[in-house]
Amino acid sequence: MTLTALSFTLLFVIGTMLVSIWQKLGLEKDIAIGTIRSAVQLLAVGYVLQFIFHTGHIVFILIIIFTMICVASWNAAKRGKGLPGLVWRIALAVTASEIMMMGILLGLHIVKATPQYIIPISGMTIGNAMVVSGLFINQIKQEIRRSKGEIETLLSLGATAQQAMQEVRARAVKFSMIPTIDGMKTVGLVQLPGMMTGMIIAGANPIIAVRYQILIVFSFTASAAITSMLLSVLIYRLFFTADLRLKL
Amino acid sequence: MSALFEIHNLAKHNWDNGDQASKYIFSQLSAEITEPERIALIGASGQGKSTLLRILALLDTPDEGDLLLDGASYKNTNVRLWRMGVSYVAQQAVMLPGSVEDNLRMVSKLHGLAYDSVLAAQLLKQLGLDYLDLGKQAADCSGGEKQRISLIRSLLLRPRILLLDEITASLDINSTQKVEELLMDWHLKEETLLIWVTHDLEQARRISNRTWVMGRGELQDHSSDSFFAEPVAVLAQKFIQPVKGSL
Ligand SMILES: Nc1ncnc2c1ncn2[C@@H]1O[C@H](COP(=O)(O)OP(=O)(O)OP(=O)(O)O)[C@@H](O)[C@H]1O
Ligand SMILES: [Mg+2]
Repeated sequence: MTLTALSFTLLFVIGTMLVSIWQKLGLEKDIAIGTIRSAVQLLAVGYVLQFIFHTGHIVFILIIIFTMICVASWNAAKRGKGLPGLVWRIALAVTASEIMMMGILLGLHIVKATPQYIIPISGMTIGNAMVVSGLFINQIKQEIRRSKGEIETLLSLGATAQQAMQEVRARAVKFSMIPTIDGMKTVGLVQLPGMMTGMIIAGANPIIAVRYQILIVFSFTASAAITSMLLSVLIYRLFFTADLRLKL
Repeated sequence: MSALFEIHNLAKHNWDNGDQASKYIFSQLSAEITEPERIALIGASGQGKSTLLRILALLDTPDEGDLLLDGASYKNTNVRLWRMGVSYVAQQAVMLPGSVEDNLRMVSKLHGLAYDSVLAAQLLKQLGLDYLDLGKQAADCSGGEKQRISLIRSLLLRPRILLLDEITASLDINSTQKVEELLMDWHLKEETLLIWVTHDLEQARRISNRTWVMGRGELQDHSSDSFFAEPVAVLAQKFIQPVKGSL
């Protein structure tokens, strides 16, 4: 596909913007910004990846993964305004799940230790961990608001913060994993996942593409579980004052 | 010897600091309790009775002043130990997830203690709940059942001070009487200090030897004998019905 051919797809964008103006949806500006950003970001990433694949140096791989984790954590932390120290806690949870995933995948030689495998797989699992973190934080805040009476009852019986939050945490962890688990159940039936589609379009054998997709689905589930549970351990105390009263 | 429980110049700011007449819900509240007594806390709605009890249980913080348990300030004590000794039974009984039995077992679960099923059964019987299936989901119980379950749940903690917030509000006369009898009995046997919020002055007279009246941000301390020398109806006029323009 040439760049000229690619630029014809801008017709879709222009069409959408015209609809937005016609229907007074007020989305033209956001669509324009989104279009430019996605094009610039993706093209830049393409060149960066080409460079890294060419050199194959571990330092570059680490820098890329580090950047991914930073952006993901910062983004997910936006869900939890007013919770000090949330960003680095999310970063810690995401990093731990990334290390565990890569440890298993590389340690057992499931994928080759080259940037071609490490970077895309990391990107996808970190991205999923980001979504799970955001969901978890949203949900735990709601759960706490809803279960204030329950938590204070436990506190008044002499519970620790950990004991008072146990049920609430479990409910939030469960909730944050629902999309990942539902995705696992319907994958391939409702939609063909992006990576698999990409591989097939680029000429890979569908059987091979599917194998990698299965790998990704399993990694997603594991990393979602690890991230969400770790995060729940790392942040539950943030909702309490030093003298063990519920904030909010 | 230091007093059992002391309240020193306690103050709580109004939640919404708007253009309210007063900055405080109450201020300069002081009281000293030297032995396990039975205190009735009365006052019109919104005077801060629940707020005071919640502060005594450290579920809210005071904005000024101090609380001393056995002479030790709440500021230097372990909050959990304090709450185990000074336990709040809420106005709105909250059932924890699970069965009635899960609720009753919670205290022993939290503190790794053996569950005294004999005592629990006895308390259930005394409060007329022996018909209750312990495996029933606590959330499905009636309001009055929940209130009694939550009282038993706190009694199993055997706190030294029980803060009771209108715990008979949704009970019939019969059950109310059972709760009163049980608590009088418990008070004698366990030497528990009771601070009992009620809107029912007849109940206050029955259960208390001391009466605290909350109103206009102050706390008046009376001996129940002298306080209830006046007819209850007159007292109700004076203290329970909000005086027009007082707030
Ligand atoms: N969490 C809160 N946020 C805002 N205002 C509150 C809060 N808790 C209590 N208040 C206010 O503080 C005042 C005292 O409330 P409190 O519940 O202590 O009254 P009360 O004496 O127990 O009344 P009642 O007899 O109706 O139970 C009320 O004006 C109430 O609206
Ligand atoms: Mg109240």
